[in-house]
Amino acid sequence: MTDTSGGDVRLTGISKTYGSFTAVHPLELTVPQGSFFALLGASGCGKTTTLRMIAGLEDPTTGTVFLGDKDVTDLPPYKRPVNTVFQSYALFPHLNVTENIAFGLRRRGIKSVKKQVDDMLELVQLGDFAHRKPHQLSGGQQQRVAVARALINHPQVLLLDEPLGALDLKLRRQMQLELKRIQTEVGITFIHVTHDQEEAMTMADTVAVMNGGRVEQLGAPADLYENPNTTFVANFLGTSNLIEAEVLEAGSDITVTASGAKLHLPAGRCSTSTPTRSGGKLLVGVRPEKISLAHADDAAKIPEGRNRITGRIADSSFIGVSTQYVIDSPVCPELEVYAQNIERDARLVPGAEVVLHWNPEHTFGLDAAQSMLAGTVGSAGTEEAA
Amino acid sequence: MTTLAETPPAAELPLRKPLLRRKLVPYWLLLPGIIWLLIFFALPMVYQASTSVQTGSLEKGFQVTWHFQTYWDAFKEYYPQFIRSLLYAGTATVLCLILGYPLAYLIAFKAGRWRNVVLILVIAPFFTSFLIRTLAWKTILADGGPVVHVLNTLHVLDVTSWLGWTEGSRVLATPMAVVCGLTYNFLPFMILPLYTSLERIDGRLHEAAGDLYATPATTFRKVTFPLSMPGVVSGTLLTFIPASGDYVNAELLGSTDQKMVGNVIQSQFLRVLDYPTAAALSFILMAIVLVMVTVYIRRAGTEDLV
Amino acid sequence: MSIPLRWLRRNLITIAGLITLAYLILPNIVVMVFSFNKPNGRFNYAWQRGSLDAWKDPCGVADMCDSLSLSLQIAAWATVGATVLGTMIAFALVRFRFRARGAINSLIFLPMAMPEVVMAASLLTLFLNMGAQLGFWTILIAHIMFCLSFVVTAVKARVMSMDPRLEEAARDLYAGPVQTFVRVTLPIAAPGIAAGALLSFALSFDDFIITNFNAGSTVTFPMFVWGSAQRGTPVQINVIGTAMFIIAVLVVLAAQLLSNSRQKNSAKP
Repeated sequence: MTDTSGGDVRLTGISKTYGSFTAVHPLELTVPQGSFFALLGASGCGKTTTLRMIAGLEDPTTGTVFLGDKDVTDLPPYKRPVNTVFQSYALFPHLNVTENIAFGLRRRGIKSVKKQVDDMLELVQLGDFAHRKPHQLSGGQQQRVAVARALINHPQVLLLDEPLGALDLKLRRQMQLELKRIQTEVGITFIHVTHDQEEAMTMADTVAVMNGGRVEQLGAPADLYENPNTTFVANFLGTSNLIEAEVLEAGSDITVTASGAKLHLPAGRCSTSTPTRSGGKLLVGVRPEKISLAHADDAAKIPEGRNRITGRIADSSFIGVSTQYVIDSPVCPELEVYAQNIERDARLVPGAEVVLHWNPEHTFGLDAAQSMLAGTVGSAGTEEAA
Repeated sequence: MTTLAETPPAAELPLRKPLLRRKLVPYWLLLPGIIWLLIFFALPMVYQASTSVQTGSLEKGFQVTWHFQTYWDAFKEYYPQFIRSLLYAGTATVLCLILGYPLAYLIAFKAGRWRNVVLILVIAPFFTSFLIRTLAWKTILADGGPVVHVLNTLHVLDVTSWLGWTEGSRVLATPMAVVCGLTYNFLPFMILPLYTSLERIDGRLHEAAGDLYATPATTFRKVTFPLSMPGVVSGTLLTFIPASGDYVNAELLGSTDQKMVGNVIQSQFLRVLDYPTAAALSFILMAIVLVMVTVYIRRAGTEDLV
Repeated sequence: MSIPLRWLRRNLITIAGLITLAYLILPNIVVMVFSFNKPNGRFNYAWQRGSLDAWKDPCGVADMCDSLSLSLQIAAWATVGATVLGTMIAFALVRFRFRARGAINSLIFLPMAMPEVVMAASLLTLFLNMGAQLGFWTILIAHIMFCLSFVVTAVKARVMSMDPRLEEAARDLYAGPVQTFVRVTLPIAAPGIAAGALLSFALSFDDFIITNFNAGSTVTFPMFVWGSAQRGTPVQINVIGTAMFIIAVLVVLAAQLLSNSRQKNSAKP
């Protein structure tokens, strides 16, 4: 690992407290040059504060911000080679699109800006709107002006603060792809703050999941999804079925028991803090789409070597590509299962007795000494702070 | 690659100090204006307080003798003017509200593309000196003029005379003329805040109320009026406060029987040159108005006026 | 219910509003009509016969145009002073945290909650005690004082509704503190500042009570009118009043048309 490469963003021991409230706990973070990095978390988790400290809009209480080898902690925002796309864009209402985009260049004393502005308008496909005022643009167009206004300065790092939050779902999808395209085209480091896990996973190379002012876990999207380290990450990124269990046999393949059912999981998929010795309490996790569903009458047809749990269908909802089932099991109430609608078994209706089965390789293990509900909808992802 | 490591708690890290210079910015911004207000608004109050307890004469000069008797004497002699001032100002305020509300409502909800034209017509009279416009009322209400003639024919003046608002077939030099002038002069100060708070009301609220079985009258009583309360409060204050200290209308449209406390203060200060009495009167007026305003704001439940 | 009655009921608010509007405008119409009067005697209260004399010679009355020009000068300087000081206070109140905020808020609110005659009398006490020469400067000082609070209120409302992220965006885009203020803050706060300035001008130009106490022998236009109400009102007063009314309406209409056409232009791609 080379942490002195030209344009990395390095935060060392950075923290922010307001009175007795700690918004961001001391944080070590390195974002490599040219990467698309996402800070993901619920509102109030400290992600925006972290971003603002990089931009220079917030003075850190402790710690240092490095851009490459340069300590920029004491530089005001207007002296940092960093630009921001603000939440709800903050376009200057008294200036038209061209003047908004040219703003940064003009402030640095560049006189002939026309060519660059035109190029930028082309990049964000807004050539026809150069003379409109911001209020005459749609949300998506305003968003693109905000991106153009920041990018024209060729910053070392582009910071995006919930840039797609104000857009409707369809437009959001489209802008996600467009931002990704722009990032690939210009090759600038993007640091993107969002509360939308899908957005983070779609766009970013690396995602840092934040909760209560700390980074819970950091990694590539697929890695975070498959191997969450905490229940917060397991629940915040997609949906997880978490089952309380006790270790029966330790080893590279762990056997656990949950309310009588024996389940297997690879030791390599347990988070570092998970107690994997015999007798340890842990949470067995499995994603809803990894589970297959068989009617109880067909239990004999299930291949050997798979984890299996019996239960009864409590609810099912058909959503086109898949059907989502909620299953009550003696092992665990309200297990979720997503079944692809390839061949639908007419017997799988609410009330039916079923067997849930899945490949033990698809099981992950977490420390049971944490709230099972952390990061689920309705639980404050932001509890503890000070 | 990206890294993430545990770091020591914040207490062990060196704290970064915010710049002192930035902390001083608000004080530099406030300083000139606040000093101005302190010297030319607050300090004069102190001088006036001191003047009100002085005795002496213009020739020999005035000395602070803590002569609080002045307050009592002034009040005893001029309490009819105090009562009259509060009565006239109160009546004018109520009239302004009754007259101003429909117009503010009209501008906010019904004027459509005429909205700006009507607004201009409300504001534009400001640019003709209010003294000139008040003098115009002398013409409008003149004895034997068309207004008096119509009121006489309709026997309205008989009723108002009986109530003591007018005298015989005259309107000028009567309480009615003074209240009419006060109402006229401060009406825009009622209409503009009312309009501002009415304009903020979402038109869909009216539809929602109608949808929920409210008649237009109920909608007004339960939805529109409560939501316009901030405008009502600031409008009544902006009308009552200046009206209570006014002496122009009483001087131009009234007779000696309609003198208000403002007239007394003015003549004590500028003609009689009895500064202690004038200062005491002005302090009593200030106290009455401040107490009334404070109680009113508490009752109306709107603290946020500035 | 008969049709006219129903019509009346439906349009009750409109009718009441229009009656109020008539009440507001009536004196201006009278002022305008009487600017064409040729009165018998010194007072211009009763209609005699039409004449253009006053319009042909608006400054024909001794001292009137001098007092008008003095009033305009005082109003201009009071506007500049109150707007600068008031805008600074408004920014400090909205944008910064500091001690004694409550006391400062009251100090700004009180002049608006004080009958004018009280402020006028107390200020005169101060000037008398200091032995100040009453005149132009004492009037100007008084006008800046009472206009200040109104400017603070107008500017504060505007700055409060302004998104603080706009200034952050400017700083993020390489504008230093001065540039941020000049290029972003000021243009966006401008309507509030303009409203405060306009209000100051109107309040100062039309002020009588405070001026009456603190002017000494200096005569502003409202004081000239006041004096003439005792000695005799020249028709030229009506000419000035009418002219100012018409100029004000024209200026507002022109501004309206300008902003309309500007909006249309910028809407074009």
